[in-house]
Amino acid sequence: MANKKRLPRGFAKLECLVDEWVLPNSQARSEKRFSTSPEELRTFYNTMLEHAEKALASLQKCQLGELSSEQETLLKLMLSLAEVGPAVEWYGEVQATDSFDSRRFPLSVQMSDSAAQVRAS
Amino acid sequence: MSAAVADANLTLRYPDMGTGPVPTDIYWRPEFYTREIDAIYRRSWLCIGRVEQVAKVGDFFIKKIPTFNLGILVARGKDQRVRAFHNVCQHRGNHIELKSSGNCTRFTCPFHGWTYDLTGKLAGVPDSDAFYDLDRAALALPPVTLDLWEGFIFVNLADAPSQSLVDFLGEQGSDLVGYPFDKGTAVFEYEGKIKTNWKCMVDSFVETYHVPVLHRHSVTDTLAGPDNPFGRLIDVRIKGPHRTASVVGNLNYQPNPVQGLAFKHAPGPSITSGATDEATILPKGLNQTRAPNWSIDVAVFFPNWLIVMGSGMYFTHQMWPLSSNEVIWQMRGFLRPATNAAQRFGQENAMVELRDAVLEDANTLERIQASLDQGLLREFVFHDHELALRHQYHVVSDWVREYEQSAAR
Repeated sequence: MANKKRLPRGFAKLECLVDEWVLPNSQARSEKRFSTSPEELRTFYNTMLEHAEKALASLQKCQLGELSSEQETLLKLMLSLAEVGPAVEWYGEVQATDSFDSRRFPLSVQMSDSAAQVRAS
Repeated sequence: MSAAVADANLTLRYPDMGTGPVPTDIYWRPEFYTREIDAIYRRSWLCIGRVEQVAKVGDFFIKKIPTFNLGILVARGKDQRVRAFHNVCQHRGNHIELKSSGNCTRFTCPFHGWTYDLTGKLAGVPDSDAFYDLDRAALALPPVTLDLWEGFIFVNLADAPSQSLVDFLGEQGSDLVGYPFDKGTAVFEYEGKIKTNWKCMVDSFVETYHVPVLHRHSVTDTLAGPDNPFGRLIDVRIKGPHRTASVVGNLNYQPNPVQGLAFKHAPGPSITSGATDEATILPKGLNQTRAPNWSIDVAVFFPNWLIVMGSGMYFTHQMWPLSSNEVIWQMRGFLRPATNAAQRFGQENAMVELRDAVLEDANTLERIQASLDQGLLREFVFHDHELALRHQYHVVSDWVREYEQSAAR
């Protein structure tokens, strides 16, 4: 299905990132970041950042729980950017120089990527 | 120094705290560990969850208490009351519920099929005629004393708690009433085992003297900033066995590109942003000095629970000791719910930045513990703004001494 468009119209330049960076949940994104080289993280970051404002403007119009498959894919790319952001912006490395091993502190409860969230009554 | 950063001498406000070095014995001696567990963890109120986890009749969850290898079963009954039980079938002792959460009308033991209703009463015994003199009333699930504060569920494992929850929390509880805890419905949690004493871990989150050094690549610019080069706190307040630190926020912080997009789209200001939400009405006990350059408060609820509160989100740390030098660490985040998908991006970045920042703390804790266990550090010398650490030393020492004295009488 590599030739099928998986992202909303206007984001064709991000199609090449989908296979690698669209992941099932936060824990998977964390594991991906911590097993990727700083150079590859920066490449992903730079490509995504170029389209990030436009992507957020588009996602802002999408209600959680009602996303199309293409919108959800775009959101998941942006969630990977959220994970990679501090690696590039804070550390210039995968993690802090003296970071605790993230595998020893995994997520035990995760937020859904795309489901509607409960509001306080 | 900015006017809103306290001058030295916070400690002198509390003459009982002293100013001298503090012996480290209680942070590493294995024999002290069993004493503090008996004196503190078996007798104080422990937070185990929130009412949103049992929102509807029949909702239940099990909270594991690693310190005691216990699973506390919490359920909402038809009368809307939330109750806690030991998760133990009164027939042969099997765990009655194996799922970590769910909804049911009764609990069924997976061993012989005994059932209990949501109040813990024994409801059904297969082939009950074959038992001799079955006393059903005496075979209810063992209740655990439970009470609520601001939607948080607390239990006390003592047979007869010496204090009510409201008395135990005192001003620490009453001064925080009204914080919008119920708005933090988007929840995540990290959990891990750290080789450190539980008290060292509590201490690590309640002083910011380390922020400009240890966190120099992450949150130094937001939570300390150029006006506060030594990471001084705004204030430290002691309330009975509890304590709260108010942390500086840098109002002039200019975010990084992705971070800035996340801040803009988050459903509320994140903890790592240093920013505040003007619309949130703060309770008396939050930013109690009403400093203009405030970002977050770190409220320690003795013994093992911390709420880190900003005006737009909060998160909790909980430390469950396993031994004198091991602890289960749970960090649970409570974000405002996202409605649109861009806000979900803001949430993810708030979560990730928080995790990255605390990952910077944990190696230090394991090295401190190694030094303590090797007997290479016999005293802690505390900075004035490490008052909360000094306070914990006194509270833990006092609780153990007073409990042992009363037990000896």
